[in-house]
Amino acid sequence: MADEPLPLLPHEERLPPRTDLWIAAGFFVLSAAILVLGWRMPTYADQGGQIYTAPGLVPSFYGVVIGLLSLWLGARALRAGALGPDSADHERPDSGNSNARFALAAGLGVLFIVGLIGRMPFWIAAAIFVTLFVAAFEWRPGLAPKARARGLAIALIEGVLTGIAVTLVFERVFLVRLP
Amino acid sequence: MLHSLEQFGGALAHLLSGWGILNVFWATLLGIVIGALPGLTATMGVALMTTLTFTMPHEQAILVLVCIYVGAIYGGSRSAILLNIPGTPASACSTLDGFPLARQGLAGRAMGISTSGSWLGTLFGILCVAALTPILSEVALKFQSFEFFWISVFGIVIAGTLAGGDPLKGYIAGFLGLFIATIGQEPYYNYQRFAFGSTDLAGGIGLLPALVGCFGVAEVLQSMRGPVVEAVSSKIDSVIPRLEDVFKHWRTILRSGAIGTFIGILPGLGEDTAAWSSYAAARRASKEKEKYGKGSIEGLMAAETGESACVPGAIIPVLTLAVPGSAPAAVLMAAMLIHGLNPGPNLMLQTPEFFYQIIAMLLIADMSKLFYGLTLVRPLLWILLVPRERLMPVVFVLCVVGAYAITSRVFDIYVMLFFGFLGFILRELKFPMAPLILGLVLGDLLEKNLTRGLVLSGGSIAPFFTRPMSGALAAITIFSILWSIPGFSARVAGLFRRRSPAPS
Repeated sequence: MADEPLPLLPHEERLPPRTDLWIAAGFFVLSAAILVLGWRMPTYADQGGQIYTAPGLVPSFYGVVIGLLSLWLGARALRAGALGPDSADHERPDSGNSNARFALAAGLGVLFIVGLIGRMPFWIAAAIFVTLFVAAFEWRPGLAPKARARGLAIALIEGVLTGIAVTLVFERVFLVRLP
Repeated sequence: MLHSLEQFGGALAHLLSGWGILNVFWATLLGIVIGALPGLTATMGVALMTTLTFTMPHEQAILVLVCIYVGAIYGGSRSAILLNIPGTPASACSTLDGFPLARQGLAGRAMGISTSGSWLGTLFGILCVAALTPILSEVALKFQSFEFFWISVFGIVIAGTLAGGDPLKGYIAGFLGLFIATIGQEPYYNYQRFAFGSTDLAGGIGLLPALVGCFGVAEVLQSMRGPVVEAVSSKIDSVIPRLEDVFKHWRTILRSGAIGTFIGILPGLGEDTAAWSSYAAARRASKEKEKYGKGSIEGLMAAETGESACVPGAIIPVLTLAVPGSAPAAVLMAAMLIHGLNPGPNLMLQTPEFFYQIIAMLLIADMSKLFYGLTLVRPLLWILLVPRERLMPVVFVLCVVGAYAITSRVFDIYVMLFFGFLGFILRELKFPMAPLILGLVLGDLLEKNLTRGLVLSGGSIAPFFTRPMSGALAAITIFSILWSIPGFSARVAGLFRRRSPAPS
């Protein structure tokens, strides 16, 4: 029996060429920015400094390499037909991913870090965040009031318990300072 | 030999005194739980616990981290077998044969195979650490800046080439990591690079907040974006490993142990590559190829042994070259630096007792893993059924605490958040994470050795290529890059085919 290829890991799947072309363009801009900023850095030659220890040398070297690699990626994408009519992102089979769920999780994370931390004791901030997170993700439209109240109560209990447990364990047991 | 055994016995006794045993039990258990829960990985577990244990004495803190690492890599197979969902990327390979075995009503036997394979794999790796580390350390002591420069570049390149996926994106991720490591004050003139007037940025990007972001926050976001996981319960038979499974597959165990350890030694590859390579090698050598993917005991044994042998293997280059063999080992190396240890060739000279302690830590973690493998079945099933909506916010809170813990800078929380989004986007664009992490960790080593080498040679790049070891490393690195160019590997293979004598 011939060996069948092993299944691909998530990061082993290829993207459409046009997406790769955009990625290449993004990294090329980054490399150009690194080179410009590296070039503007002082060389300290007036203080007897050697060119090899100039602060901009190593970042510029990385900038050059990133630039060359992005050109390689771009050229490969073009060869694969990135500008052709068929190279637009194909409709991918439904993977079950949800950008709304991602946006909600990311938004709540930003709210916790930017809006809550530092404005109140950490355990309260953590309790509010966990309660909101659980309540938001377990919200189901058309749920009976009793079931909804039960869900909110579970979220609140988990939030308060997390806030208290994290504070006690890390502040008292691990002697870690909390934000 | 007797002196070494004495030192090892002393290290064991030292580690297990006082709170040591308790630390081993909770840390291995936590590691197994982290590994078993889909969405939480060994790297994230080690990164989080690095920040949360830094007030502990260094040997106890590293013991906790080694237990987390060993436990998490093993724990991933539980969800792979019972739910068909790899708990960590390393256990993805175990789903191929583990879940079919569970569906046949052999979940317990599959877990027994996983336990025995994982235990033996780590044991094999520990023996390699004991045998190879002193030899490699002695070789590494002869290295100068030129060689260390190439080792760092080789690490980035090999991680990009072999981490799976697109090597080109692997190289870009690696050099992006190296660039990020240059942000902040540089070592010669304390010039603030890419700080834009910010005193926080001038202090540099903290390695651990960045790692917690890349592996913690990014995984929370990815997990919440992904489809809901339907928990599947399975009837569980006896989890006691059968001796016949071990004796029948001793060749597979030895082969997978060797492959896993070797891949561990190569910088930046890690347990997932070790598992897949061991699995592929076992399938090639198997007389029962048709069973692979349908519940092959041999296949599951190969994957489990390979991934677990990789753990000690990945620690070998940390101890000898200060170059991590995997992403969790990169975090472990960062933890050693935080605790004032000096991983690299001088470790054996300056703190030889730590070498014996590391072997003892790995052995203790392996034994503790065996204990939980035989006893912890039902409670782990309940933990696997916790919905992600209730688990992930707690993980996010722990990430915030972890990012803040070391330097108590709120800026580090922002760094964590930024790297969380960066890691999420890069994963979505199919960039492997291992080279990025390796770039972040090796940035300082590479820069110092590049500039030091240039200063020593008066600006000439010739010694980077003409010194024997340096030249060999350069050749391997360049060959690795060429190998990833489509057509090159086929042409080289064709060249060899033409030169081989035609069959009569």
